[in-house]
Amino acid sequence: MEHEVSIITAHNPIIDSLLATGKYNVVPIYIGKDGSWYSDPAMNDINFFRNDLEEKLKKLKKLQLDLNNGLQIMIPGSLGSKKINIDIVFPAMHGTYGEDGSLMGLLRMANVPFVGCDLFASAVAMDKVLTKQILKAEGVPVVSDVWFTKEDWESKREGYLHKIKNLRYPLFIKPVHLGSSIGITKINPLADQEKNLINAIEVALHYDEKVLVEEGVENLVEVTLPIMGNDEPILASIERPLNKTEFFDFQDKYLSGSKKVGGVNNNYSEIPANIEPSLAEKVKELGEKTYKILGCSGIARVDFLIDSVLNQVFVNEVNTLPGSIYQHNWKKSGVSNIDLVERLIKFAEGRFENQKNTTYSFNSEILNQYKSSKNQ
Amino acid sequence: MLQASEYNIVEFLDWFRRVKDFAKVEERKTLVKTIKASLLYAIAWNLFILSFAIAIASLWFFEGVRSLLVFLVIFLFAPYLTLYLLSLCTFLLNSVQRPIERIIINKAKEKLQNHKALKIGIAGSFGKTTMKEIIKTVLEGSKNVAATPDNKNTPLGIARFVESLDGDEEILIFEMGEYYEGDIKKLCEIISPDIGVITGVNEAHLDKFKNIERTAKTIFELADFLSKKEGTKVYVNKESRSASESAAHIKNENKPFPKVIYYGHGGIEEGGGNWKVEGAETNLSGTSFILKNNKEEGVVVRSKLLGLHQIGPLAVASHIAQSLGIKLEKIELGLKNTKPFKHRMEPREDAGGVLVIDDSYNGNPDGVKVAIEFLKEIKDKRRFFITPGLVEMGRKTEEVHREIGKELANTGIEKVVLIRNSVTPFIEAGLKENNFKGEVIWFESSLECFSSLPKRTINNDLLLYQNDWPDNYS
Repeated sequence: MEHEVSIITAHNPIIDSLLATGKYNVVPIYIGKDGSWYSDPAMNDINFFRNDLEEKLKKLKKLQLDLNNGLQIMIPGSLGSKKINIDIVFPAMHGTYGEDGSLMGLLRMANVPFVGCDLFASAVAMDKVLTKQILKAEGVPVVSDVWFTKEDWESKREGYLHKIKNLRYPLFIKPVHLGSSIGITKINPLADQEKNLINAIEVALHYDEKVLVEEGVENLVEVTLPIMGNDEPILASIERPLNKTEFFDFQDKYLSGSKKVGGVNNNYSEIPANIEPSLAEKVKELGEKTYKILGCSGIARVDFLIDSVLNQVFVNEVNTLPGSIYQHNWKKSGVSNIDLVERLIKFAEGRFENQKNTTYSFNSEILNQYKSSKNQ
Repeated sequence: MLQASEYNIVEFLDWFRRVKDFAKVEERKTLVKTIKASLLYAIAWNLFILSFAIAIASLWFFEGVRSLLVFLVIFLFAPYLTLYLLSLCTFLLNSVQRPIERIIINKAKEKLQNHKALKIGIAGSFGKTTMKEIIKTVLEGSKNVAATPDNKNTPLGIARFVESLDGDEEILIFEMGEYYEGDIKKLCEIISPDIGVITGVNEAHLDKFKNIERTAKTIFELADFLSKKEGTKVYVNKESRSASESAAHIKNENKPFPKVIYYGHGGIEEGGGNWKVEGAETNLSGTSFILKNNKEEGVVVRSKLLGLHQIGPLAVASHIAQSLGIKLEKIELGLKNTKPFKHRMEPREDAGGVLVIDDSYNGNPDGVKVAIEFLKEIKDKRRFFITPGLVEMGRKTEEVHREIGKELANTGIEKVVLIRNSVTPFIEAGLKENNFKGEVIWFESSLECFSSLPKRTINNDLLLYQNDWPDNYS
């Protein structure tokens, strides 16, 4: 499903905005479900992906990448392959490879600037457990949890069930790496809670090798805060999703309410969230702190859990490629769609320049010394 | 395109001469596949192929150089040949269709003559559909009301509507379209209205009527008809100069009927007494005012319709409702139910907090004026006025558009967004002459504008989209 969501993120928020500036030559690159890479100008229109996609792809030649001295794509044709030099990459790939740092690693090696978080922040944010461990070590409040791998669960199940007993119900069972709320279950304190708990863990393990069991927050208010920038983060508005179900699920996040204006979560959001000013301040403070601790750059979104009675704010998770780059929230916060993509490009270029000034290679004598020592 | 000009051959050929790049046509209006359209489409292709066949056949019939010459002539002129032959076919088809239509219309006329309902006819250059919908909404809580659907306002459209009636309706409301002289008279003869409403006279369709006097005369065919019937009355928009002048003429004739009642921002003026408007207010959530009449406390009007120009129609609906003996609470409830119609000052808000007022069905100078007047009432927002200009303004084109520019400049609109075509430079000229302080933004096409603007706007911006050109006006 993140495949489809990626197509949506790529089009209206990114490609359409870039084209509306009239400044850029946008080269769409599409990676199919089988991992094949394609590029065709027709892909700049989302309709390309709507009907008979498989048929259309069959007619296209797969592209090749050249990572020498920047990124070049080569589209094979009857008269030799067409080479296109890419000046900057705008990732729009949610989930595995796109959001976990893999793609960023490839782009770093190609020495091409790219929009959004870099490899390290992406890799950490992709793992909900790692994120919480790092934040906790820096004093950012997170909710109590128990985590384990598939192997741990199979060999030491009773031990983990015992640990989980120390958590306060309701509990949330989550696959550690997946976004879009897929595979998440809420367990209420009922008579057969343990049976439900085990079922939920099995479900989560079906999606992931690593599972997180978290304490639920009482009097829950969920809010999210999009942030952009490098060293000086800029905050958007605090947004409160007003979904019908008790927590974000895939349906609410991407499907419902998207008919009217075509964004994410449009009709079910309150922007800015109607929460107490002191809580809002806390959210902003923790949001900025989290962004910096994880080393985010470009853009990210921090999700929060609030106990609205005890006035406690917890950071829940960080998303390094917010769906549709949360353009609706930025627009509401005074940043037009065009302004948003242009700023993101500037941040990417800024980070790239800084990295250029950092030395990653040293002239060393090790090889020669190694050789000479062997000759001795 | 033949369909868009209502199968009028002369207009179709005119359009053909005007347009050079056919690849660009059919951008927004696609061919509706009626029987007639499919038939003509098939005939056109057959004719096209036939003309090539004749061209090739001519190679055999004539000899030597002459055969080649005839071949070339027919070959090169095939599209034109097709076009004119197609026009001929349309003419032939029309002459078969017309008698059939006449039968349908006569049947409708007969049915209406036996129908007991009170019949309200609405004519005018603009605001007919809005007037119709307001009256219908206000009355339908208390009476069994039926009104012509969408903007079906031709004899055939109305006949089809009459066909669908149950027969027990208490009120029938008709929107009457005027395209040529005598149109309203023809419609009156079918409908035989008891109450007329004349919403105004302006430059709309001036391409066809040539001068505004002729437009007024055609629209006032409604009042002429009412003068032959007892107990009739006609409501006339006082703010439309041409309309109120024509109404004054009727008054001077001193005929007993129709009773002329004026309406407008100020309320209702009738011979016996007036209904005065007090405390009128309009903003993005609607329009409200109090209608003070002599007898009662007054009608409290709260409508979701936008703009002070809605006061007149709302007052007319209240007046008609009261004359039908509907209770005050019911009238007020009906008024509360009035809300913006599709593409007519219809507000919506996008997820990013941008307010859009869709006024894309508004294509006349008076409508533009009230839209700009509405923007005047809106404070603390960055206002965008988006327009491709108006069509069918005939020789008034330049004047009308310069005037729009002037009003935009005087209102202090922040951003004027223009679609490049033959008329928008006049708006720009009007802006410049009146020291416009805001920004003018140009787009090459409406499509480009519609896709680009949402990407350039932010929270608290207000975008008013006025008018949308059909392709046969390019």
